[in-house]
Amino acid sequence: MATPVIDGSRRTPVRREPGARRRRRGWAAWGFALPFTVLFAVFLVLPVVSSLYMSFTDMRGADLRDPLAVEFVGFDNFATVLADDKFRQAIGNTIYFVGVAMPLTLALALFLAALLNSGLVWFRSVFRVGFYAPFVTSIVAVAVVWRFLLQPEFGAVNSMLGLVGIDGPNWLTDTTWAMPALIVMATWRNVGYYVIILLAGLQGIPRDLYEAASLDGAGAVKKFRSITVPLLRPTLLFCAVIMGIGYLQFFEEPFVMTQGGPLGATTSVAYEIFNQFGFGKYGVAAAMSYLLFIAIVVLSLVQFRLLRSKA
Amino acid sequence: MQTSRLAVATASALALVLTLTACGRDDEDGGAAAAPADSISEGPATGTVEVWAMGTEGELLPELAAQFEADNPDVTVNVTPVPWESSTEKINTAIATGEVPDVMQVGTTLMSGFVELGGLAPTPEEIDSAAFFPGAWDTTVVDGTSYGVPWYVETRVLYYRSDLAEEAGVEAPETWEDLTAFATGMQEAGAEHGIALQTTGNDTNLAYFPFFWQAGGEIMNEDGTEFTLGSDAQVAALEYYSSFMLDGLAPSPLVEDEKVQDFIEGELGAFVSGPWERANLLTTAGEEFADSFDVTALPAGEQPGSFIGGSNLAVLQDAENPEAAWKFVQFAVDPAVQVEWFGISNDLPSVEAAWDDPALADNEAVAVFGTALETARSTPAIPTWGEVGHELDLILEQVIAGTTTPEEGAAQMQDAAAAIGTGLS
Repeated sequence: MATPVIDGSRRTPVRREPGARRRRRGWAAWGFALPFTVLFAVFLVLPVVSSLYMSFTDMRGADLRDPLAVEFVGFDNFATVLADDKFRQAIGNTIYFVGVAMPLTLALALFLAALLNSGLVWFRSVFRVGFYAPFVTSIVAVAVVWRFLLQPEFGAVNSMLGLVGIDGPNWLTDTTWAMPALIVMATWRNVGYYVIILLAGLQGIPRDLYEAASLDGAGAVKKFRSITVPLLRPTLLFCAVIMGIGYLQFFEEPFVMTQGGPLGATTSVAYEIFNQFGFGKYGVAAAMSYLLFIAIVVLSLVQFRLLRSKA
Repeated sequence: MQTSRLAVATASALALVLTLTACGRDDEDGGAAAAPADSISEGPATGTVEVWAMGTEGELLPELAAQFEADNPDVTVNVTPVPWESSTEKINTAIATGEVPDVMQVGTTLMSGFVELGGLAPTPEEIDSAAFFPGAWDTTVVDGTSYGVPWYVETRVLYYRSDLAEEAGVEAPETWEDLTAFATGMQEAGAEHGIALQTTGNDTNLAYFPFFWQAGGEIMNEDGTEFTLGSDAQVAALEYYSSFMLDGLAPSPLVEDEKVQDFIEGELGAFVSGPWERANLLTTAGEEFADSFDVTALPAGEQPGSFIGGSNLAVLQDAENPEAAWKFVQFAVDPAVQVEWFGISNDLPSVEAAWDDPALADNEAVAVFGTALETARSTPAIPTWGEVGHELDLILEQVIAGTTTPEEGAAQMQDAAAAIGTGLS
């Protein structure tokens, strides 16, 4: 909407510019914005629109040469997907993973960050690097090591359990234990990143607040609940949203460790999408992707509601 | 203003959708329609031939290509190695955009996908199908037309601890009953498990299908239009395959990473693997381990049966130099060249005549594979096989775990495959 230019000093509205000149300026503006607009349209809008369109068609891998020669099938893909037992199992698995791994990672990250912020001052940088290292290590290398750790016979985990008389399960091939094993692995991999973020947040809280609280006789728990948590809220929100987005797309761990097994116990929604794309069912896979997208949006909205600053 | 802009956006999106919808599928099948095959002319090849090859083959092929260049002075062969992991996407993209090589190595189970995409050219008549192992030739045929030439093959045989077998007083198994007794004997001789069979994960079906074929089963009917997975042979084969795990003769579930180590330590009596395993065992356990193990063909049920794998050579539909490309393919499947290639790469020849050469015939361990290859077969070359195979893997896992009976499993396999369909019109 074009606003008339107001010249404040004379308090009288300036004559509108002649139409032609305004139009020319408009074109010039578009000219400046063009490089970005074109890139944005070609590399962001177009793929998003075409993948959305794809989810409403019966496109298969074989249509790649002629991607427009496909039938429009409306919401058929979405109906098929939601009625599919395997996809439902994948939804269940993903909820299980996010439901356990997210609070676990967040709590652990907060605990470690608090430790680093108060107690472990001397070796802080050593610990910081230690926690962060798994996050930047290639998942392939991580998988090799974890498979060794979790091996049923001579793996370190079961050997240690054996020392205290526990006969450890066959972690990755047991329907009950495969998911917990991956949850622990994912938590270990990701916690370092959130430790760093939360540590930064903690360091931003003024010391004098704690001192004042101490003078008022507040204990450690009280200080944590009444100072740390409220002031850390924006940081926690950031962590929760980023983690929600990442964890809902849970894929790498089952891909390298269990291939979604045993008996589909670790097949996540993202893994199922990967499978469907692999089978060349592009339409179905795109529909699944948009369902996952909606889930991510909903989770993020909920988190914003729960964790927004109550200022 | 805001609303009117939104309206415009909606209208144009709708218009876009309508335009796109307007160009729906043609009724006739598009890509898979067989174009007339090229023919291979006489005389030397000329020009440039671009070849894509995967994995080890991609690294070693230049040696063979140099010979072709020596025979045909006016030709240049450029070999591009492609990693197996990214090969499918890379080839799909190449075919979709038309920027393709002239010749390409294609894994036997990947043929139908590229054919469905319309990427591969039909095989000329000058290539004699009878020269190859029948199971290998079948992997080139999609919907009645051949789209490539078998290049090298592999099949799975039984690797077993010959020292343990001797101790137990059991011979290399020839029948199903033999194999059960063999595994039991191995266990009595001190192995923790008599045999290891794949129980979970991708391609469990490839480990299982040899037993289905041995029981007389067929994956599809004669003309390849319908699945026949719910047969009595399926029930018998599922019962037999799962019996090893359920009776404690084989680890359930099998941890693949521990298999070779257990075998070397004598904890495992036998397992099924391909030709590459020999070198793997000798590197891990040392050369002297060669005296402790042996290979034998998988046992026969009603009939012998094994899985044939390997790669084909295909010429692309959009190849710039199809003439020289086919000449290169023809060269690669010449019996003498196949023996040469075996020397370079250890890849087993797909051409039966090459097996008469002493380099292969006099090598006992290799000859076992030759016998197995005569009756070895592959899974159907249909575009949906990847998905069907995945479903079968999941059902097999349940039968092996004992949560589904063989009868239920057979019925589920048929239902699952029928629901997916063949993908051919």
